[in-house]
Amino acid sequence: MPEDPLKRYRAEVREWMALNAPRDWREHSTDPEAFLRIQRDWFAKLVDGGYAVPHWPADWPGGGRSLAEQKVIYEEMARADCPRLLLSFVSTYHAACTIMEWGTEAQQTRFLPAILAGETWCQGFSEPGAGSDLASLRTKAERRGNVYIVNGQKIWSTVAQYADKCLLLARTSHEPARQAGMTFLLCDIKTPGVSVRPINQIHGDEEFAEIFFDDVEVPVTERLGEEGQGWAVAQATLASERGLTLLELSQRLRGALWRVAKQIEDGGGSQDKGLLRDYGRLVVDVEATCALADQYLTWRIAGEEQVGQASLIKLRYARVLRNFTMLGLRLEDYAGQIHSPITFGGGMETGNWMADFMNSYAWTIAGGSDEIQRNIISERLLGMPREPKSWTLTGAKA
Amino acid sequence: MSIDKSELQDAARKAFATDVRCADTAQVLNQIVGLGWLGICVPEDLGGLGLGREAQAVIHFELGRILGPGSLAAHLAIIDALVAAERTDLLETALAGEFMTASMRLETGTVTAGTISGRFHAVPDADRAQAILVAASDRIILLPLSLPDIAIAESRMWDQTRRFFEVTLHRVPVNAGATLASGKAASRMWDALNSTLLRAIAADSLGGADATLQMTLGYLGVRRQFDRLLAMFQALKHRCADMKTALASAEALLWADAGQYDVGLGCDVTGVGAMKGHATRVYHQVVEEAVQLHGGIGLTEEHDCHRFLKRALLNGVLGGRADIWEEALGRRMLAA
Repeated sequence: MPEDPLKRYRAEVREWMALNAPRDWREHSTDPEAFLRIQRDWFAKLVDGGYAVPHWPADWPGGGRSLAEQKVIYEEMARADCPRLLLSFVSTYHAACTIMEWGTEAQQTRFLPAILAGETWCQGFSEPGAGSDLASLRTKAERRGNVYIVNGQKIWSTVAQYADKCLLLARTSHEPARQAGMTFLLCDIKTPGVSVRPINQIHGDEEFAEIFFDDVEVPVTERLGEEGQGWAVAQATLASERGLTLLELSQRLRGALWRVAKQIEDGGGSQDKGLLRDYGRLVVDVEATCALADQYLTWRIAGEEQVGQASLIKLRYARVLRNFTMLGLRLEDYAGQIHSPITFGGGMETGNWMADFMNSYAWTIAGGSDEIQRNIISERLLGMPREPKSWTLTGAKA
Repeated sequence: MSIDKSELQDAARKAFATDVRCADTAQVLNQIVGLGWLGICVPEDLGGLGLGREAQAVIHFELGRILGPGSLAAHLAIIDALVAAERTDLLETALAGEFMTASMRLETGTVTAGTISGRFHAVPDADRAQAILVAASDRIILLPLSLPDIAIAESRMWDQTRRFFEVTLHRVPVNAGATLASGKAASRMWDALNSTLLRAIAADSLGGADATLQMTLGYLGVRRQFDRLLAMFQALKHRCADMKTALASAEALLWADAGQYDVGLGCDVTGVGAMKGHATRVYHQVVEEAVQLHGGIGLTEEHDCHRFLKRALLNGVLGGRADIWEEALGRRMLAA
């Protein structure tokens, strides 16, 4: 019987990771500069190795990999405990997928190769007044000749402080249905009038930033899709990454279970029935999350995906991550309350339990909060009635 | 497996398309015998269908949905043991529908001077079964229930969807043919039996949880208060979403364990026990919410809610409580 090609591919990826994945990077990632260096070096190495953009079409170096092969890459990355691709994530998924779907040939030629060379993108969607209810955004883009003049404020933009370019969703007209009247722009962060301010998070990291637009000129040639078509374009951005991140994250959670075990042993609790029980229960929860992520990908590969299934994994993962970090923090007892410096870009489970616990809110709030996921699950998977839309409540005022 | 999981699921759902309250033990058993599903995991050359663990889980899942008879779990586990013991004589009668039973609490007895003694609880349908399988000392023994010195007493359970008995063996002589395995082979067989039973309870639990959730959604979709359907209240929708999420991941774990997925908790008894514990926790969560969401009607004898509730609580203790398995798993993982 010929060898399973997927197994062969896994062996190849594993070997490459063993040779190339950075070691000891956690120890060195003590400040944002070190984080940037580690992220850039690792991304460049992955581009060379052909593992950076497996989800891109086959005419790109390293592209054209099947979902099953992409899964192998992420599983092996988790296994090798290499840095997660935080800096390039929005660039290779959100920016690239949106530009591939909606960009003109000129736009594609200009922006896509630059991503592989390390150009960094951020996403400018959420606003202080438009979080879960994204359609209520108010950042304004006014057409004046060959440019749009942008005014407004974006928030929760991951890595915006290090970004070169921004995916910008702005309002070009006021329509009764608020999804209409939006336009999608590609904005250079270095344009005069753009200012970026990192947001200090409760655990001490700065993964997000605010972006202010003050009479910023964006050329009309840097618009994706037509004027007023922005909401449709944004759907491509939002759908660009489904499932693989959570698959990777749940694998990483499994790979980090030893940290909780070590905490139990170090605290002399390895005969404590209550702690063993808590640990055993956590192991089951993590395995169930991995199984769910795996099943979801199996559905997708078979073309049997249903809207709402991705929400099941996100909701589940977020809850289990919270439990995981909380157990670590509880085991650490008083020592856990003494401040210790964080690992920048160290992922969701660094063993700095207090920081990890606080960082776990990233998954219950960002990317569609738990509450939004519950709406999606109950409406799309369980067929319960839809929530009334915001514009039907506020009527013509919007 | 040669037949697709969803095909088997459809077939089972069609065969068991019966109102929960009317689920008649004898009728369901006859259907299963007729469809050849007693031999679902038995190799084809021994007269079975030659399907895997996953197929067996599908049957138990569907039986859980209709609160099916409890004897199936024990009987199918014993059939697996007969295959392992290469007892084709007994296998033939078992496949023909001569029922065999065993304690669903995984209890053991003792052998002294060629006789076996012990008290076994949670033995389903012992009054209708021909034989009982017991583990004692380092042996696995199959005894005819008609022997003298075997006393059978029905236990009146809160859960009336299963009929459980207490079977007492008082120095019952063990003849040579009764021993299915001894020594190391017996402990392997015991582990396999326990794993099969635990998987069956897990699948039954998730099938029951699925049916309970569907029933609850159905009720919320017709019951009106404050001039609208209960299903329109976000507070209730979110609770249903939580039930669905818990159920989906527990199901993924079940199918992973049943063979789709090579990692997971491991296929030893501890791993399967922890999986069963998780499934029963989810069943418990779903039924507890279901009664609450049904309001007053959920407290009535005529509604099916309480049947699922009682079965869920019983499943939680059969084969060992979740916390016991979790502790064992924690210990194993820490030692690894």
